Parts: sequence; structure tokens; C-alpha cells
Amino acid sequence: MARLVVMGGGVSGHTAATFAKDWLGDEHEVVVVTPNSQWNWIPSNIWVGVGQMTKEEVVFPLAPVYEKAGIDYRQAKAVSIHPEGKDDSDTPYITIEYTGAGKEGQTEEITYDYLINATGPKLNFGATPGLDEGHTVSVCTADHAVHANLELKKIFEKAKTEKQKILVGTGHGMCTCQGAAFEYIFNIEHEANKAGVRDNLEIKWISNESFLGDFGMGGLHMKVGGYVVSSKLFAESLFAERNVPWIIGAHVNKVEEGKAHYELLDGTTGEEAFDFAMLIPPFAGVGFKAYDKAGEDITSKIFAPNGFMKVDADYSGKPYEEWKASDWPRTYQNPDYKNMFACGIAFAPPHLISKPMSSPNGTPINPTPPRTGMPAGIIGKAVAHSVCDMIKEGENAHLHEASMAEMGAACVASAGKGAFDGTAAAMTVYPVVPDFEKYPGTGRDTDYTFGEIGLAGHWIKHILHHMFIYKAKLKPGWTLIPE
Amino acid sequence: MVQTLKQYPDESINVNAGPIRSFGESYQQMVEDLIDTMKAHTLDALSAIQIGYPYQLMVIRENSTYIAYANPRIITQSDAFDSIERSHYFHNQPITVKRYKTLSLVYENKKGEMKTKIIDNKEEAALFQRKLDYLFNTTLIDRLLPQQREQAVKALAGKGHMPDISDAFCPPESKKVYFVSVADKLLFFMFLSLFLPLFPLSKETLSGWYTYDKFAFPAILFLMMGFFFYAQHEAKKYKQCSSCQIGNNIGVMVKRSVAALAFAIGAYFLVNPY
Repeated sequence: MARLVVMGGGVSGHTAATFAKDWLGDEHEVVVVTPNSQWNWIPSNIWVGVGQMTKEEVVFPLAPVYEKAGIDYRQAKAVSIHPEGKDDSDTPYITIEYTGAGKEGQTEEITYDYLINATGPKLNFGATPGLDEGHTVSVCTADHAVHANLELKKIFEKAKTEKQKILVGTGHGMCTCQGAAFEYIFNIEHEANKAGVRDNLEIKWISNESFLGDFGMGGLHMKVGGYVVSSKLFAESLFAERNVPWIIGAHVNKVEEGKAHYELLDGTTGEEAFDFAMLIPPFAGVGFKAYDKAGEDITSKIFAPNGFMKVDADYSGKPYEEWKASDWPRTYQNPDYKNMFACGIAFAPPHLISKPMSSPNGTPINPTPPRTGMPAGIIGKAVAHSVCDMIKEGENAHLHEASMAEMGAACVASAGKGAFDGTAAAMTVYPVVPDFEKYPGTGRDTDYTFGEIGLAGHWIKHILHHMFIYKAKLKPGWTLIPE
Repeated sequence: MVQTLKQYPDESINVNAGPIRSFGESYQQMVEDLIDTMKAHTLDALSAIQIGYPYQLMVIRENSTYIAYANPRIITQSDAFDSIERSHYFHNQPITVKRYKTLSLVYENKKGEMKTKIIDNKEEAALFQRKLDYLFNTTLIDRLLPQQREQAVKALAGKGHMPDISDAFCPPESKKVYFVSVADKLLFFMFLSLFLPLFPLSKETLSGWYTYDKFAFPAILFLMMGFFFYAQHEAKKYKQCSSCQIGNNIGVMVKRSVAALAFAIGAYFLVNPY
């Protein structure tokens, strides 16, 4: 009997663990180590953040689902990886520290034959001074979103009698997930209209994108009212229509009570006052340590400086003009330890997707590569497939591939919730990572890099919400639902 | 080498241009082609996509110098104004669009070094914004409102004149539709009431529905009068509004009033229990 340990129970880790258990059956063991007791459908957190959904609608307890699937679930955080074992044993293991189930603080070693790192990111609020001091809110977790909604409701209440300022966007020059902030600002605007307080709210966008509509992907086409336009024009029109001014190319470098300081791509600096701010933090690796058999620290061998795990990518650090689609990983296998994989946000990307840019002061200001949502699920499933084949056929089994440079992705960004007055932008990108050799110029197939905004988009987002929660609960037919 | 300039209705200009990634020989050749084409056609500025290169590159002539802007971005903009512009792509037809007078921008020079620049001049700023638009799959008419755009497309086909941005167009969501919406709902239930005698309903029930018909009929007439006067008010407010024309408004009003009259007569003979 082989043991597969999956660190992390988010979109990618949950997909990997559940498919692996389904394919391996009772002959082999699957262990999931995650500090969370609940699974969270993160794309709907923005609706919790405006009070249009409750926390209970976007989360469910993991324990009964894993019990039903026959997965050994440990509510704990992984602390260190020992891929060579220790003095008296060659069996690799990880150390964990329990965070729940009455075992809080207890530590344990779990041996493994195969390891999948799917921990997701550490929300690196500390990267921006003041961002972790409670001056702003976030919607990155369900609890954060609940808190954001409480604070937002106070602002709406005040806005009945006095002007209030709302600032939404990215809290650092190297953030990803502009889409979540984009959704949140337009849902706030939508709710403010419904609450009759829009006239007393000054809502402003701040982002590290070098142009509106970049979405961290370098832009795309949108279909609006029968016409095809660029995402830049679409976004500029949408912001203007909703009376939301914007600050772009911005690195928020300090947050104080009611004030955000920033530097722009043109080198100028500024500050923006706010009564309520939702600023997305940058992501970092969760901060594992790794040790060899002798107990020597090999963290830098396994992890990139940003804390994400190295896989089969080209990390040579070559200049922008030499970046290729083939730099991106295909199998997500660690180059030094063949029984270790990383998927979702946990793998280290070889470089950015958007064009790297920095201010005249040398401050890098550009979106970092998105690896959430659909790509995270697809990669998690491919990695699970590889591990299952290695367990069943031996370590030389053919590995499954899911390169982001050959993968399309779909995204639905809500701009307001409502069965009849909701809107959302549905977007597809192919490939996620531009391939400038295959598609000279844009790096993408323009026929499949497309978006459309409307009420139907909102319905699709709502349907996806129920469909993916259904799938994650392993209800009948769950394996048939795509990632 | 002088390249062929794309002109409307050639839609191959409608692509998002990709970033300039290297500044080697092929880049220099592209810049040379842009400059040669500008000189041949006496142009002040040209975007690479206008001669078929899908890259984020534009060249602007400043006095006698040709400056290449690679991967340009506008970081801040202020002081909006209406700019009357002509583009070779649109056969030099004048089109009025909204632009900003003051721009702070970043770009890369011919060595690939990041540079910043402030533009605080209407003409220069409008030119830069127009050329930048091309790099993001946006032409002059894409900046117009939908009705203005339709009018511009007709004008480019030789049917009519170019829209004036200062003209007020129909609002996308006119309040006059509320009158029609309520009237339509009342009409719908009046129509349904005509079928009630087919069912074994009590005299009281039929009486109740007949009372509804008696109130709905004049209500629809009042709503249509309200619609007409509000529509006339909008027609004066918006110069360019095809749906505001009096013929359309009379048509909407008469159609529903006649239907209401017909249903009311039908109700008198069919639903009236007395």
C-alpha cells in the first residue's frame, strides 16, 4: 500500500486528493493535511463581502466529505518537508502541527510515498507596511469577506447622511487577483445603488495594472452591445459609466488609518484618503522549511525565493525577450525529488505573464501570474493522474501534462448580483501563458481570447457557484463535472 | 520601406497588439518602415498596426525628429475635452471624440529603456491617445456612443454625416418606457379577462374582473397620454434620437389605446355579468 499525502485542501489540493482517492481505491492511502476545517468556494467571497451571500453558502465542512471518500483528513498545517527521511529511516516525511479537532498545537510526523504540495498562497499582508494593521479589509477568505461586509454596511449607514470614500484594488505592486478586486468594486457600486447611497459614495479603483482591462493577462477582446472592443476600452467605459475613477500602474507602499500611499509607474507618488478600503495583498509561499537526511536546511533547493515550490520549469532567470512558453512547467514534478509535485498557486512560476515593468525608481509594478481557479483545478487533476500512474505502474510511468502555455482558462467576473439586474463579464483566454512563437504579436489565439458582459454572465457565475460546490461535496456524478 | 497603410473598412487593424519584447534588428526595421511610410504620406504619427505589424509601437514626429514609443502606457490623464480628429484609416473624415489634455506616460525608447513623459498640450495629447488606441484594438469610432457609432458607420458608407459628440443622443434607458411597461401589463390582464366566460365562474368573480376592466381602460389611456407628453419632452432634450420622433411616439400611443378600446368593448359584451 502506497501513501499519498496532499498538503492543502483548496481548489487544487481538493481536486488532486479526491480524484486520486477515486482512482486508487482502498488499495492505497490518501492523506490530506490542511489547516482549514472548511472548504471555501473563493470566487463567491465577493458576494459575501457585500452581504449578498452568507458565509455558510460559500463553505462546507471537509471532515464528512473526506470521511465519505475514505480520505485520511488531518486538520493541521504542514511545517517542514524531509524528502530524504532521517538518520534511521529513508522514508520521506512531513511534520505537521494540528490546528483543530481538539489536537491544537500537537505535532506529528507523517511519512509519504508521494507528496503533492497544494497549499495555496500565504496572504502576504506584511509586504506592504500597514496592510496588516486592520486599516483595510480583504475578501480573500470567507471570514475576511464577512468582516468586509460588516465594515461596508457601516459605511453605507454613514453614507445616508455624509460623504464617504471607498478605495478598492491591489495593495502592492506585485499583486495578482485583480479580478477579485474588480468584481468587488462593481458589486459595492451595485449594492450602493440599491441601498440609495451611491450619491454620497466616492468609489475609486487602484491597481498595479499598467492599463485598465489588463486583468493580469495582458488584456483581451470583449463583446459589448454587439461590438467587439478591447478590454481596455471596455473597462474604461465601464468605470466611466459607473462613475468610478481609477489609479493605475500603482504600487501601494504604505497604508495608514484612512490613507493609502502609493508610487506610480511614472515615478510620481501620491496618497489616497479612504473611509473604507479593500486592498488585495500579494501572495507568497506559505513558508515551509525543507531538510535533508542529515538535517541540513535544503529549503532553497526545493523552494524558489518567493516560497513557492520548484517544479519542471526553467528558472534560469533569462531576460524578458527570451521568455518562451516552454519555460512553463508541464508535469509539476520537483526536479530533485521525483515523488514530490506542486499544483495550483503552490508551484513557482518561472517568470511573469504580463510584461515586466518598473518605475524610474526601480520599483517593480506589474501583475504576477494568476494560477487560481480553472488552471488550479486542471493542474491538480493532472498531478493526481501522474501520481496514481506512478503508484500503479512504477516510478517510470508516463507523467500527465498540463502546461499553462497550452491551456485555456475561463473566468466570470461579476459586476453586480441580481437575478434580473445582475451583470458579469465572462472571459476566456487561450493560452493562459502567451506563446509568442506560436501566436506572433499578442502571444494568444485571439479567437479564443474573448469576453462578453451581460446578465447571462451573472447567471453563469451563479450556476458555477452551485456546480462547483456540488462537485467539491462529491455528490453523485461529481467526476463528470469539468474543472 | 514604405508599407501599405490600412484603411477602413479593412478590419485586420482590429487586434490587440503584442508587447515589444526585444529591440534588435527586426525592431529597428519596423521603426524604419514606420518612418518611411510616414514620410511618404506626410503623416505626423503612425501606429505599427496601421501598417500591419501587431506590436505595441508608435512613431510620432516632433519637429523634424521621429520618436519611437515602444510599449507606451498612459498612467494619469486629466482635463477632458472634445477633440475633432481625422485619421488616414477613416479616409480623413472628421470624428469628434473625448480626449484628455494632460497625460503622464511611460514608454520604452529604442534601446528598451523605460522613459517617462508629460504631455500638456491638447493637440499632442490627442494625437498620442489616438495612436495608443490603435495598439489596443480601438479606432476612433469605437470611442463613440452606440448611436453615434451607427451614424458614423453610415457616414463612412456615404449615407449621412458624421455625428457631433456635442449632440445629445437618446438616453440608453428612457423613463418613458415605464409608461409603456405598465400599460402593457394592464392590457395583458384585460386580454386574459376576455376568456373568463369560458370557465364556470361565479357572478361575483366576473363582476370583480369587469370592475378591473373598467378601471384599466381609462388608466391605459392616461398612461399613454403621459407617455406622449414625456416622450415629447425627451425629443426636445435629445437632438439625435430616432426613437424620440413624434411618429414613433404616436404609433406607440395609438396602438395601445386602440387595443385598450377593443378589450374594453369585448369586456362589455363578454365579461359584464349584468
